[in-house]
Amino acid sequence: MTLQDNFINLSSAAGLGLIDFDEDDIAVDYGCMFFDSLVYASKLCKKTFGINPSYERLKTLQKRLVEEEVKNCDLVNANCSELLFEEKVDCVIINCFLEQLLIEIKHNKTIYFNSKIRSKKEDNNPEKIRIRFLQTVYKGLRPGGTLYLSYANKLRFNVFLLLSKFEIMSFFSSFSLKNALSFFLLIKTIYLFFYYLLSRKGLGKLLKANGFTDIEKHAVFPDHKYPLKIIPLSKLGECSFEPVQYQYREGSLRRISAGIKRRVDMLIFNKFKLFELSPSFIITAKKAS
Amino acid sequence: MLYELITNNIHNNNIALYKCYNANKVFYRKAAFSHWGNKVIENEKKGYDWFYENSETLIEIGLRKKYFYELDIPQFKGKKFPTESIISGNEKTIEMIIDYYKDRWSTKDVFAIHGDLALCNFVIDDKNIKLVDWEHFHYSDKEYFGYDIINMLFILIYHESKRTFRLNKRNSDFLKKCYMQLIEGVDSSNKLLEKPFQNAKDYLLKFAYRFVINTNVNNKFVLSGSPLSVLEHFDSIVTK
Repeated sequence: MTLQDNFINLSSAAGLGLIDFDEDDIAVDYGCMFFDSLVYASKLCKKTFGINPSYERLKTLQKRLVEEEVKNCDLVNANCSELLFEEKVDCVIINCFLEQLLIEIKHNKTIYFNSKIRSKKEDNNPEKIRIRFLQTVYKGLRPGGTLYLSYANKLRFNVFLLLSKFEIMSFFSSFSLKNALSFFLLIKTIYLFFYYLLSRKGLGKLLKANGFTDIEKHAVFPDHKYPLKIIPLSKLGECSFEPVQYQYREGSLRRISAGIKRRVDMLIFNKFKLFELSPSFIITAKKAS
Repeated sequence: MLYELITNNIHNNNIALYKCYNANKVFYRKAAFSHWGNKVIENEKKGYDWFYENSETLIEIGLRKKYFYELDIPQFKGKKFPTESIISGNEKTIEMIIDYYKDRWSTKDVFAIHGDLALCNFVIDDKNIKLVDWEHFHYSDKEYFGYDIINMLFILIYHESKRTFRLNKRNSDFLKKCYMQLIEGVDSSNKLLEKPFQNAKDYLLKFAYRFVINTNVNNKFVLSGSPLSVLEHFDSIVTK
């Protein structure tokens, strides 16, 4: 077997290169949404923990960890706001997990919250849940520890149009109270996304309110699942934006569409510097020492 | 410290290139994401070591062997060139590089090949020439002296002719001049003579494993992916 046959490429975890992992570090991945990230962190840190309330997801992840011969990672089946660590963690990784919380709230699913929380109506408020979650994260971090948070930009208007089109069509095709309600729920969800995840300062404020410092926002291309380009927004003047080569399969139409996408990106990001429209973001922050 | 991810897994090399903004300095970091990436980084370090061994200035290229390797490369000051650089407007620089190559490469006891010599991999200031991106570095026989320059000229032709492989007279003449400059004083046993472009492609295909690449060689190098008729055409331009 050659070296080429015998390796797993974890390049999709390139976002974690923004963190300087140390061999003695303890890292926690909340949600374990991207397996590569947890495997990558496990290879570089002394100890890692993967936390997810879904037992099924952890079972799948366990298989992957065995395949990759990762022995320093413990998987914990727990609620997201359960306090498991007290100032012990050097790094917390949260990939898509805040979005996941919002989606769960939108669909009124409750797998992420235990029955106690569910029964208390006032505690089921999305804002409170996220604040509580960030407080748990903050308490778990040691002073000087790092938070790594990645999420998709829901303002990308192709997603917005798709959602709106779907909802508006269902609203007009046959009017019913249920449809009307779902439309208002959509507006509410968009508002929530906008308030917490999209607004220029929303999430930053939330992190600051929870005691984080050195908050740095990065624009990510083409997405945070497999970043090919990451730009720190505070260094826009020094960074050069070259649109990433979008992967396309065979076919002239796909090639043309990739070309158009590239030109549009050049216009939006190179000329007008509208980085708030980036497909995804990564936020890094520190707990004050 | 802040990081900008510049490229990731380009040509399936399993490596990410970051630009690192420290409080008082800026540098580049290459980080591996697999064991293959480790191999590429280790190879690149060997290339830098070879190049800067006798450098006028001491240059520190830091290799950290964690589970995945990292290579820290300083930000060199000087003129940089875009990836799609062409011949026109860069004639003096190209001549200077050929002189530099002849001066530096031919005096080394062990012959080395950069593997991806292109104008965009040079940083040139008044006094110094710095060469970066040593991923495909390897040792070879001295009979292949000139391979890197032929490869660089072909990349320039490729961009100059916008992939149509047609050059105007001025550029054709310049190409011939460059070739004459390169082979002047070269031993007759050199394996690139007479058919430099075709022979360089043969070398690339025959010894692709030496270039430490993890993708089809034709996807990575324009020289190997070009049809024989094109190479014959340029061989005839420079050797007639």
